[in-house]
Amino acid sequence: MTKLLYIFVLLSCFDLSGQVDSIQNIQTVHVSTLLLVLKEKSHSLVFDRETIDELQPTDISDLLRKVPGVNLRSYGGLGGLKTVSMRSLGANHSSIIVDGVPLNNSQTGQVNLGQLMVDNVEQLTSSIGLNSNYLIPVSSQISGSNFMINTMENSFARDTLTIRANVGYGSFGQIKGYAGVKYNPNKYFISAFGAMQKAKGNYRYSLDNGLLELNGTRKNNEYFDYNFGVSGGVKFKKGQWRIGFRHKSIQQELPGAVIFYLQTADEQLTTKGNRLFTDLKWTKNKFYSNVFLNGSIDNQEYFDPTYLNAVGEIDTKFNNRNLNGGYSFMRFSNNWKVFGGVEETVSDLLVNDSTFAEPVRFHSYAMIGVRYDISFFTLTGQISAQHVYEENRIGLAPKKMFRVNPFFSIKTKEWGQRSQVELWYRNSFRMPTFNELYYTNIGNLNLIPEDAHQVNLGYLWSPHSRRMELDWKSNIFFNHIENKIVAVPTKNLFIWSMQNIGRVNAFGGDFQFEAKYKFNDLWQSIFNLSYTYQKTIDVTDSDSPTYLHQVAYIPEHTANADISVKYHNTGLRLSSYYISMRYTLNENILANELNGFVLMDISVFHTFKLDKKEQLKIIGSVKNVFNSSYAYIRSYVMPGINYSISLSYAFN
Amino acid sequence: MRLISLLFILSLISCKKDNPEPVAVSNVLSNGTVVLCEGLFQQNNASLSWINNSDASVSNTLFATKVGRQLGDTGNDIKRYGGKVYVVVNVSSTVEVLDAQSFTSIKQITMQNGGVSKQPRNIEFYNGKAYVTCYDGFVDVIDTISLTVINRIPVGLNPEDLIVSGNKLYVSNSGGLNGPSMDSTVSIIDLSSNSEISRITVGLNPGRCITDNVGDVYVVTRGDYAGVPSRMVRINTISDLVEDNFSFDVSGLSKMNGNFLVSYYDFSSGQSSLGLFDPLTETMIDPSFIDVSGLTTLYGVGFNQFTNTIFISDAMSFTNSGYVYEYTSSGAQIASYHVGLNPSKFLFYE
Repeated sequence: MTKLLYIFVLLSCFDLSGQVDSIQNIQTVHVSTLLLVLKEKSHSLVFDRETIDELQPTDISDLLRKVPGVNLRSYGGLGGLKTVSMRSLGANHSSIIVDGVPLNNSQTGQVNLGQLMVDNVEQLTSSIGLNSNYLIPVSSQISGSNFMINTMENSFARDTLTIRANVGYGSFGQIKGYAGVKYNPNKYFISAFGAMQKAKGNYRYSLDNGLLELNGTRKNNEYFDYNFGVSGGVKFKKGQWRIGFRHKSIQQELPGAVIFYLQTADEQLTTKGNRLFTDLKWTKNKFYSNVFLNGSIDNQEYFDPTYLNAVGEIDTKFNNRNLNGGYSFMRFSNNWKVFGGVEETVSDLLVNDSTFAEPVRFHSYAMIGVRYDISFFTLTGQISAQHVYEENRIGLAPKKMFRVNPFFSIKTKEWGQRSQVELWYRNSFRMPTFNELYYTNIGNLNLIPEDAHQVNLGYLWSPHSRRMELDWKSNIFFNHIENKIVAVPTKNLFIWSMQNIGRVNAFGGDFQFEAKYKFNDLWQSIFNLSYTYQKTIDVTDSDSPTYLHQVAYIPEHTANADISVKYHNTGLRLSSYYISMRYTLNENILANELNGFVLMDISVFHTFKLDKKEQLKIIGSVKNVFNSSYAYIRSYVMPGINYSISLSYAFN
Repeated sequence: MRLISLLFILSLISCKKDNPEPVAVSNVLSNGTVVLCEGLFQQNNASLSWINNSDASVSNTLFATKVGRQLGDTGNDIKRYGGKVYVVVNVSSTVEVLDAQSFTSIKQITMQNGGVSKQPRNIEFYNGKAYVTCYDGFVDVIDTISLTVINRIPVGLNPEDLIVSGNKLYVSNSGGLNGPSMDSTVSIIDLSSNSEISRITVGLNPGRCITDNVGDVYVVTRGDYAGVPSRMVRINTISDLVEDNFSFDVSGLSKMNGNFLVSYYDFSSGQSSLGLFDPLTETMIDPSFIDVSGLTTLYGVGFNQFTNTIFISDAMSFTNSGYVYEYTSSGAQIASYHVGLNPSKFLFYE
């Protein structure tokens, strides 16, 4: 490990007292980047490459649904729209950072997790509350929660040559392949990768229809994508510089909701994205800095060949451009740290529809924070300011907004068998998206930001013994959301519009428990259990029939239970997921109930060590073992039992 | 084993609560009202409610109970012709034909054209034929004996409502799916040849059509939901010309004896009104005939000639289950019923 890496590990560490642990941990984790690799003690949940291999996720959302507090909304299928919301806050309150750079989409405000590559992910971290990494972009440090992804291709490594490749085959015509290579001599690295996947998506489903069971096969659900990218990086005496380019291209059919008695979906969506990003980190006299710049162009074309308007089709092209860059810093001494930064995002949206306003937005961020260690406690305070200025080209009044938001945390030092308590409060907001503001008929220019207040009390406990490692994380939380942006039908059933009408209270608790037990040098097992309770109620209007009702699509209970058993190079993982009944509309009546479900996946894997540096892994998995008929969103049916097999090769 | 037992516990938790006992509906429908509850787009939850006049009970699963399956997605119209009831289901693109007495299914007519949904909207009858407006630009002619589509009459863009006057059929071409450039015409179809004989301009976004007792046709032109207001015009069915433009706000029209109940829901203010209009004198008798200010979203209005009472539905912001209120013919509220999602139309039983 180079000195530089060591320094950046220190940067990222949570407690100065925890440095040693952090450094030890990093050696056991595949070192993929200088930042965010600490499997440190915090409320974050970390998935490393090995776990990801065992879980054989279809996409990132398959992993994130295992995070306590996360509620997945999936419209199904490979590449289908999948978003996650943390503790009822809505997807737009979460920030997604890939290789240290935030992904932005000002059009929808959320990233479709179904379209993020998972093959090259070395590590995925979810965090809420105080982010222990003070150098990530300011916008992510002050968002409601964040998910960080680090990829193999954009990180410095210990090995001179790293090769990863895999091929997979699965049910419903799924074929995928990925290959990435990285050359990393002492001072620099260069890397390249390519990946593709396709699927027919023609899975069978059954849906209750009164006394009948509707059986069908999903139609208009074919999918094809390819991704490629190149990266490079240079280390110098007290810093490092990285640069990368990514391209994605997706062609997908949109199967839509399963409508009783009608199977005529024929819509298509074509997505193309190009992204160029760079970051520079350096240190000088305990002063650590990070600069990044990220430019992206996302094109989407929605095509409905049989729409019943005058021309007989809809062919809408969206072109969303984002340019963002920022600077963040940290300075620390023995018992205090100062951190902060600035960031600017400029984004616009061009649409081939004269009724669309073609907005351009300038969003500026600034943040300053202090952390102070005082005897048994660590206090952290953070204050951020944001300014948003927005123009459009059809003459509507420009929008201006200025907000200041605080964050505060008090945390104990560890005591006893590594126990720790933390209390934090965060005030944050999310901007209305371009679609919410300007979309023809639906958009509402008068929208104001959606505000969120989060209070959390957490307890961590992680006793270790020679054979056993336990890790317990638990929280109780209260969130209050104001001016919630919701779509409501206004003019008639078909004309919906966005309004700031919602007020929501979310009370909840979660825990996450992990036990690792080594029977001997050959046998080991890992058991994970997590559970979240969320009572998320509508407190908008005491005269409304939905007052104090559980908000639509928020389950009261979600749980995950995983068990993994390994003998030498062979293993088995059982992974189960439970989500309780949800309501499809805010009114808590029988007609709006959507059944809860249990999913169980099983995977079996074996690693062939070809060489000291070379290994081949074969993984077979069965998903939805019980063949449950289930849906996250009403009428968007999900696949029954399905199978996949994959072969992955690694050299390093 | 630990995991298996955990899963077992979890699956117990996930078992659904017992459903409440459904309200029984007699085998032969009489002395009551069927309420068409449109449901919401992509939710497959259109339904029919049955209001029993004798005990004021409500069953919100009439269709599912009688037919054994769901009605589908977005019910749009319900009417009776002879011994059959026809329910037009817009997004599912079907016409459900039911026995008017037993409410058992006679046939589900699939309304698709070459694998594309026709999106049927409203239905009318004439001389043994059912006429159905279809958003794909046609009026479908269904033979009420064979229950098959025997003809498709091309009309304007996204035909919405239709009404028979004499031997002509008046069809409002909304162009609603072509926003912001909506249609503003009414197609006039000669029912002896089943072909369009003329198309007249009435005003932006025509919707509801109704006739008075002398055969004149009144059409609501719904405007653009922004600057162009929702109004009513009268078509003289002899000259087939628009003779009157009325200046009051209107979104719905229903007949009560010889008069019209004129309803209006202002979506921007959330205010509703219900007036009484006399088509013979062409005057508004009372613009606030019934006080509907307490309603959240005034949606459907119907007059029950058997009980001489007025039924008004509240769509409760379109996302909450609705209510139906019953009034005397002089406008005094006498009952309320909790029904399904988005109640819009009524079919009254003697």
